Amino acid sequence: MMTPRQTNPNFMNGVPELLILRLLEDEEMYGYEIVQAIRDRTDAVIAVGEGVVYPVLHALEHAGALKSRRRTVGGRSRIYYTVTKVGTRRLAELAAEWTSLAGAIQKTLTGGRYGEAFS
Amino acid sequence: MAKHFRELRERLLRAGVAPRHVRRYVMELREHLADLTVEEQHAGRSRAEAEASALRRLGRVEDLAQSMIARRELQSWTARAPWAVLGLAPLAALSCAWAAALMILWTGWQWFEPDAATPFGARVQGPAMYYFGLGRMLYFWAPVLAGWGMVLLAGRQRVKAWWPVLTLALLALLGATGWVVVSRPGVPGPGHVRLGFWMGLENLGAADGASHALVLFALTVLPYAMGRWIASRSDLARE
Repeated sequence: MMTPRQTNPNFMNGVPELLILRLLEDEEMYGYEIVQAIRDRTDAVIAVGEGVVYPVLHALEHAGALKSRRRTVGGRSRIYYTVTKVGTRRLAELAAEWTSLAGAIQKTLTGGRYGEAFS
Repeated sequence: MAKHFRELRERLLRAGVAPRHVRRYVMELREHLADLTVEEQHAGRSRAEAEASALRRLGRVEDLAQSMIARRELQSWTARAPWAVLGLAPLAALSCAWAAALMILWTGWQWFEPDAATPFGARVQGPAMYYFGLGRMLYFWAPVLAGWGMVLLAGRQRVKAWWPVLTLALLALLGATGWVVVSRPGVPGPGHVRLGFWMGLENLGAADGASHALVLFALTVLPYAMGRWIASRSDLARE
Protein backbone atom coordinates (compact mmCIF):
# COMPACT_ATOMS: atom_id res chain seq x y z
CA MET A 1 0.00 0.00 0.00
CA MET A 2 1.24 3.48 -0.86
CA THR A 3 2.26 5.55 2.19
CA PRO A 4 1.06 9.16 2.37
CA ARG A 5 3.75 11.61 1.26
CA GLN A 6 4.14 15.26 0.47
CA THR A 7 2.79 16.44 -2.83
CA ASN A 8 4.79 18.47 -5.35
CA PRO A 9 2.54 21.45 -6.05
CA ASN A 10 5.11 23.10 -8.21
CA PHE A 11 7.78 21.02 -9.92
CA MET A 12 10.08 24.01 -10.27
CA ASN A 13 9.79 24.86 -6.62
CA GLY A 14 13.22 24.45 -5.05
CA VAL A 15 15.08 24.12 -8.36
CA PRO A 16 16.89 27.47 -8.15
CA GLU A 17 17.96 26.65 -4.57
CA LEU A 18 19.23 23.23 -5.62
CA LEU A 19 21.20 24.56 -8.59
CA ILE A 20 22.65 27.48 -6.68
CA LEU A 21 23.77 25.34 -3.76
CA ARG A 22 25.33 22.80 -6.12
CA LEU A 23 27.24 25.46 -8.06
CA LEU A 24 28.46 27.24 -4.96
CA GLU A 25 29.61 23.96 -3.45
CA ASP A 26 32.44 23.96 -6.00
CA GLU A 27 33.50 27.61 -5.82
CA GLU A 28 32.39 31.01 -4.58
CA MET A 29 30.52 33.09 -7.14
CA TYR A 30 28.57 36.32 -7.46
CA GLY A 31 25.06 36.65 -8.90
CA TYR A 32 25.92 37.24 -12.56
CA GLU A 33 28.35 34.30 -12.56
CA ILE A 34 25.71 32.05 -11.01
CA VAL A 35 23.12 32.87 -13.68
CA GLN A 36 25.69 32.28 -16.44
CA ALA A 37 26.82 29.01 -14.86
CA ILE A 38 23.25 27.72 -14.59
CA ARG A 39 22.63 28.54 -18.22
CA ASP A 40 25.91 26.92 -19.34
CA ARG A 41 25.66 23.76 -17.28
CA THR A 42 22.02 23.08 -18.15
CA ASP A 43 22.58 23.90 -21.84
CA ALA A 44 20.10 26.76 -21.40
CA VAL A 45 17.30 24.28 -20.63
CA ILE A 46 16.90 25.96 -17.25
CA ALA A 47 17.14 29.74 -17.43
CA VAL A 48 16.82 31.40 -14.06
CA GLY A 49 15.49 34.97 -14.23
CA GLU A 50 18.50 37.26 -14.30
CA GLY A 51 17.34 39.46 -11.46
CA VAL A 52 15.32 37.01 -9.41
CA VAL A 53 18.33 34.94 -8.46
CA TYR A 54 19.18 37.47 -5.72
CA PRO A 55 16.10 36.96 -3.52
CA VAL A 56 16.97 33.24 -3.54
CA LEU A 57 20.55 34.04 -2.52
CA HIS A 58 19.38 36.41 0.23
CA ALA A 59 16.91 33.84 1.54
CA LEU A 60 19.51 31.07 1.55
CA GLU A 61 21.93 33.32 3.40
CA HIS A 62 19.18 34.26 5.86
CA ALA A 63 18.60 30.54 6.48
CA GLY A 64 22.32 30.06 7.12
CA ALA A 65 22.86 27.95 4.00
CA LEU A 66 25.14 30.55 2.40
CA LYS A 67 27.52 33.19 3.58
CA SER A 68 28.58 36.25 1.64
CA ARG A 69 31.49 38.63 1.46
CA ARG A 70 31.99 41.85 -0.47
CA ARG A 71 34.98 42.10 -2.78
CA THR A 72 36.06 44.88 -5.08
CA VAL A 73 37.28 43.45 -8.38
CA GLY A 74 38.43 45.79 -11.13
CA GLY A 75 36.72 48.73 -9.46
CA ARG A 76 33.42 46.83 -9.25
CA SER A 77 31.83 45.86 -5.96
CA ARG A 78 30.78 42.21 -5.95
CA ILE A 79 29.04 40.10 -3.33
CA TYR A 80 30.47 36.59 -3.43
CA TYR A 81 28.54 33.68 -1.95
CA THR A 82 29.77 30.37 -0.56
CA VAL A 83 28.01 27.34 0.92
CA THR A 84 28.06 26.70 4.67
CA LYS A 85 27.71 23.36 6.46
CA VAL A 86 23.98 24.01 6.76
CA GLY A 87 23.91 24.61 3.00
CA THR A 88 25.72 21.35 2.32
CA ARG A 89 23.12 19.45 4.35
CA ARG A 90 20.29 21.31 2.58
CA LEU A 91 21.85 20.45 -0.78
CA ALA A 92 21.98 16.75 0.13
CA GLU A 93 18.28 16.82 1.09
CA LEU A 94 17.21 18.67 -2.05
CA ALA A 95 19.36 16.44 -4.28
CA ALA A 96 17.81 13.30 -2.75
CA GLU A 97 14.29 14.67 -3.28
CA TRP A 98 15.01 15.56 -6.88
CA THR A 99 16.75 12.29 -7.69
CA SER A 100 13.71 10.45 -6.39
CA LEU A 101 11.31 12.68 -8.31
CA ALA A 102 13.32 12.49 -11.53
CA GLY A 103 13.46 8.69 -11.20
CA ALA A 104 9.70 8.53 -10.81
CA ILE A 105 9.09 10.73 -13.83
CA GLN A 106 11.57 8.78 -15.91
CA LYS A 107 9.91 5.54 -14.92
CA THR A 108 6.51 6.91 -15.91
CA LEU A 109 7.82 8.15 -19.24
CA THR A 110 9.38 4.81 -20.04
CA GLY A 111 6.17 2.90 -19.34
CA GLY A 112 6.62 1.96 -15.67
CA ARG A 113 3.86 2.47 -13.13
CA TYR A 114 4.12 5.68 -11.12
CA GLY A 115 3.14 3.95 -7.86
CA GLU A 116 5.99 1.46 -8.02
CA ALA A 117 8.57 4.19 -7.90
CA PHE A 118 7.30 5.37 -4.51
CA SER A 119 6.36 2.08 -2.89
CA MET B 1 17.85 53.26 -15.49
CA ALA B 2 18.21 55.15 -12.21
CA LYS B 3 14.42 55.59 -12.24
CA HIS B 4 14.03 51.82 -12.65
CA PHE B 5 16.03 51.13 -9.47
CA ARG B 6 14.48 54.01 -7.52
CA GLU B 7 11.02 52.66 -8.28
CA LEU B 8 12.07 49.17 -7.24
CA ARG B 9 13.62 50.45 -4.00
CA GLU B 10 10.46 52.36 -3.07
CA ARG B 11 8.22 49.39 -3.86
CA LEU B 12 10.31 47.04 -1.73
CA LEU B 13 10.50 49.43 1.22
CA ARG B 14 6.78 50.10 1.12
CA ALA B 15 6.13 46.34 1.00
CA GLY B 16 8.13 45.91 4.21
CA VAL B 17 11.35 44.35 2.90
CA ALA B 18 14.19 45.06 5.34
CA PRO B 19 16.21 48.12 4.24
CA ARG B 20 19.53 46.22 4.39
CA HIS B 21 18.19 43.61 1.92
CA VAL B 22 16.76 46.34 -0.31
CA ARG B 23 20.08 48.21 -0.35
CA ARG B 24 22.05 45.10 -1.23
CA TYR B 25 19.53 43.83 -3.79
CA VAL B 26 19.57 47.14 -5.67
CA MET B 27 23.36 47.26 -5.54
CA GLU B 28 23.63 43.69 -6.86
CA LEU B 29 21.12 44.42 -9.63
CA ARG B 30 23.05 47.52 -10.69
CA GLU B 31 26.23 45.46 -10.98
CA HIS B 32 24.36 42.69 -12.77
CA LEU B 33 22.95 45.18 -15.24
CA ALA B 34 26.42 46.55 -15.89
CA ASP B 35 27.69 43.01 -16.57
CA LEU B 36 24.79 42.29 -18.91
CA THR B 37 25.41 45.56 -20.77
CA VAL B 38 29.07 44.62 -21.32
CA GLU B 39 27.98 41.16 -22.51
CA GLU B 40 25.51 42.66 -24.97
CA GLN B 41 28.13 45.10 -26.27
CA HIS B 42 30.55 42.23 -26.81
CA ALA B 43 27.81 40.60 -28.88
CA GLY B 44 28.04 43.59 -31.23
CA ARG B 45 25.24 45.86 -30.04
CA SER B 46 25.56 49.61 -29.70
CA ARG B 47 25.69 51.10 -26.21
CA ALA B 48 22.02 52.15 -26.30
CA GLU B 49 20.85 48.80 -27.67
CA ALA B 50 22.98 46.92 -25.18
CA GLU B 51 21.53 48.90 -22.28
CA ALA B 52 17.96 48.34 -23.44
CA SER B 53 18.56 44.64 -23.98
CA ALA B 54 20.32 44.28 -20.59
CA LEU B 55 17.41 45.98 -18.85
CA ARG B 56 14.96 43.61 -20.54
CA ARG B 57 17.01 40.59 -19.49
CA LEU B 58 17.26 41.81 -15.92
CA GLY B 59 13.47 41.79 -15.63
CA ARG B 60 10.56 44.14 -15.06
CA VAL B 61 10.37 46.12 -11.83
CA GLU B 62 7.15 44.28 -11.01
CA ASP B 63 8.80 40.84 -11.30
CA LEU B 64 11.96 41.90 -9.48
CA ALA B 65 9.89 43.36 -6.65
CA GLN B 66 7.52 40.40 -6.38
CA SER B 67 10.31 37.85 -6.18
CA MET B 68 11.74 39.72 -3.18
CA ILE B 69 8.41 40.54 -1.52
CA ALA B 70 7.34 36.88 -1.71
CA ARG B 71 10.20 35.99 0.64
CA ARG B 72 8.58 36.60 4.02
CA GLU B 73 11.82 35.93 5.85
CA LEU B 74 13.36 39.03 4.23
CA GLN B 75 10.72 41.35 5.71
CA SER B 76 11.83 43.79 8.39
CA TRP B 77 10.63 43.59 11.97
CA THR B 78 8.95 46.96 11.41
CA ALA B 79 6.72 45.29 8.80
CA ARG B 80 6.28 42.01 10.65
CA ALA B 81 5.51 43.46 14.07
CA PRO B 82 4.91 47.23 13.82
CA TRP B 83 3.24 47.22 17.23
CA ALA B 84 6.53 46.05 18.77
CA VAL B 85 8.99 48.19 16.82
CA LEU B 86 6.92 51.36 16.54
CA GLY B 87 4.85 50.93 19.72
CA LEU B 88 6.61 49.01 22.46
CA ALA B 89 10.25 49.73 21.55
CA PRO B 90 9.99 53.56 21.87
CA LEU B 91 8.17 53.15 25.19
CA ALA B 92 10.86 50.73 26.38
CA ALA B 93 13.54 53.19 25.28
CA LEU B 94 11.78 55.97 27.19
CA SER B 95 11.56 53.78 30.30
CA CYS B 96 15.27 52.93 30.10
CA ALA B 97 16.28 56.58 29.63
CA TRP B 98 14.12 57.65 32.55
CA ALA B 99 15.48 54.84 34.72
CA ALA B 100 19.01 56.05 33.92
CA ALA B 101 18.03 59.67 34.69
CA LEU B 102 16.54 58.65 38.05
CA MET B 103 19.65 56.63 38.83
CA ILE B 104 21.81 59.69 38.13
CA LEU B 105 19.57 61.82 40.35
CA TRP B 106 19.64 59.32 43.20
CA THR B 107 23.39 58.65 43.09
CA GLY B 108 24.14 62.38 42.73
CA TRP B 109 21.95 63.06 45.74
CA GLN B 110 23.80 60.47 47.85
CA TRP B 111 27.24 61.59 46.70
CA PHE B 112 27.00 65.36 46.54
CA GLU B 113 24.19 66.27 48.97
CA PRO B 114 23.97 63.45 51.49
CA ASP B 115 22.40 65.66 54.14
CA ALA B 116 19.85 67.49 51.96
CA ALA B 117 16.15 66.64 52.28
CA THR B 118 15.81 66.72 48.46
CA PRO B 119 18.33 66.86 45.60
CA PHE B 120 16.55 69.90 44.12
CA GLY B 121 17.08 72.46 46.86
CA ALA B 122 20.72 73.52 47.00
CA ARG B 123 22.62 75.24 44.19
CA VAL B 124 25.27 72.76 43.13
CA GLN B 125 28.68 73.61 41.70
CA GLY B 126 31.51 71.86 39.81
CA PRO B 127 31.19 68.18 38.91
CA ALA B 128 27.82 67.88 40.71
CA MET B 129 26.36 70.53 38.39
CA TYR B 130 27.40 68.54 35.30
CA TYR B 131 26.28 65.25 36.81
CA PHE B 132 22.82 66.52 37.72
CA GLY B 133 22.70 68.40 34.41
CA LEU B 134 23.25 65.14 32.52
CA GLY B 135 20.42 63.48 34.42
CA ARG B 136 18.09 66.45 33.87
CA MET B 137 18.87 66.58 30.15
CA LEU B 138 18.29 62.83 29.81
CA TYR B 139 15.01 63.08 31.69
CA PHE B 140 13.56 65.99 29.70
CA TRP B 141 14.85 64.92 26.28
CA ALA B 142 14.05 61.20 26.62
CA PRO B 143 10.52 61.43 25.09
CA VAL B 144 11.86 63.49 22.18
CA LEU B 145 14.84 61.20 21.55
CA ALA B 146 12.64 58.07 21.73
CA GLY B 147 10.23 59.74 19.30
CA TRP B 148 12.97 60.75 16.88
CA GLY B 149 14.42 57.22 16.90
CA MET B 150 11.03 55.74 16.09
CA VAL B 151 10.35 58.36 13.39
CA LEU B 152 13.68 57.52 11.76
CA LEU B 153 12.74 53.83 11.62
CA ALA B 154 9.26 54.59 10.31
CA GLY B 155 10.68 56.90 7.64
CA ARG B 156 13.25 54.35 6.44
CA GLN B 157 10.54 51.75 6.07
CA ARG B 158 7.89 54.06 4.52
CA VAL B 159 5.43 53.03 7.23
CA LYS B 160 1.87 54.41 7.15
CA ALA B 161 1.47 57.44 9.42
CA TRP B 162 -0.95 56.20 12.04
CA TRP B 163 1.46 54.02 14.06
CA PRO B 164 4.12 56.75 14.40
CA VAL B 165 1.57 59.46 15.18
CA LEU B 166 -0.14 57.32 17.82
CA THR B 167 3.16 56.49 19.52
CA LEU B 168 4.36 60.09 19.35
CA ALA B 169 1.13 61.21 21.03
CA LEU B 170 1.62 58.61 23.76
CA LEU B 171 5.26 59.63 24.27
CA ALA B 172 4.23 63.28 24.52
CA LEU B 173 1.52 62.44 27.04
CA LEU B 174 3.93 60.42 29.17
CA GLY B 175 6.60 63.09 28.87
CA ALA B 176 4.19 65.80 29.99
CA THR B 177 2.59 63.91 32.87
CA GLY B 178 5.70 62.18 34.22
CA TRP B 179 6.95 63.70 37.45
CA VAL B 180 9.90 62.87 39.69
CA VAL B 181 8.98 62.32 43.33
CA VAL B 182 11.73 62.32 45.96
CA SER B 183 11.55 61.66 49.67
CA ARG B 184 13.95 61.13 52.52
CA PRO B 185 12.20 59.75 55.61
CA GLY B 186 15.12 60.47 57.93
CA VAL B 187 18.49 62.25 57.85
CA PRO B 188 20.93 60.57 57.81
CA GLY B 189 19.35 57.81 55.75
CA PRO B 190 18.81 56.82 52.15
CA GLY B 191 16.57 58.94 49.99
CA HIS B 192 13.94 57.55 47.66
CA VAL B 193 13.39 58.55 44.05
CA ARG B 194 10.46 57.44 41.93
CA LEU B 195 8.42 58.48 38.92
CA GLY B 196 4.73 59.35 39.08
CA PHE B 197 2.20 60.27 36.40
CA TRP B 198 -0.71 62.58 36.76
CA MET B 199 -2.47 65.44 35.04
CA GLY B 200 -3.01 68.74 36.78
CA LEU B 201 0.13 68.69 38.88
CA GLU B 202 0.04 70.26 42.30
CA ASN B 203 2.27 73.12 41.29
CA LEU B 204 1.34 73.21 37.61
CA GLY B 205 -2.11 73.42 36.11
CA ALA B 206 -3.68 71.06 33.57
CA ALA B 207 -3.14 73.75 30.94
CA ASP B 208 0.63 73.68 31.59
CA GLY B 209 0.61 69.89 31.30
CA ALA B 210 -1.31 70.06 28.04
CA SER B 211 0.99 72.70 26.57
CA HIS B 212 4.04 70.64 27.60
CA ALA B 213 2.51 67.62 25.83
CA LEU B 214 1.81 69.74 22.77
CA VAL B 215 5.41 71.00 22.65
CA LEU B 216 6.79 67.46 22.93
CA PHE B 217 4.38 66.23 20.26
CA ALA B 218 5.29 69.10 17.93
CA LEU B 219 9.03 68.53 18.44
CA THR B 220 8.71 64.93 17.33
CA VAL B 221 5.88 65.00 14.82
CA LEU B 222 7.13 68.01 12.84
CA PRO B 223 10.38 66.37 11.60
CA TYR B 224 8.30 63.30 10.70
CA ALA B 225 5.69 65.32 8.84
CA MET B 226 8.41 67.29 7.07
CA GLY B 227 10.19 64.08 6.03
CA ARG B 228 6.97 62.65 4.59
CA TRP B 229 6.20 65.90 2.78
CA ILE B 230 9.67 66.01 1.20
CA ALA B 231 9.38 62.33 0.19
CA SER B 232 5.97 62.86 -1.40
CA ARG B 233 7.23 65.94 -3.29
CA SER B 234 10.19 63.90 -4.58
CA ASP B 235 7.78 61.16 -5.73
CA LEU B 236 5.63 63.74 -7.53
CA ALA B 237 8.69 65.33 -9.16
CA ARG B 238 9.84 61.88 -10.40
CA GLU B 239 6.40 61.18 -11.88
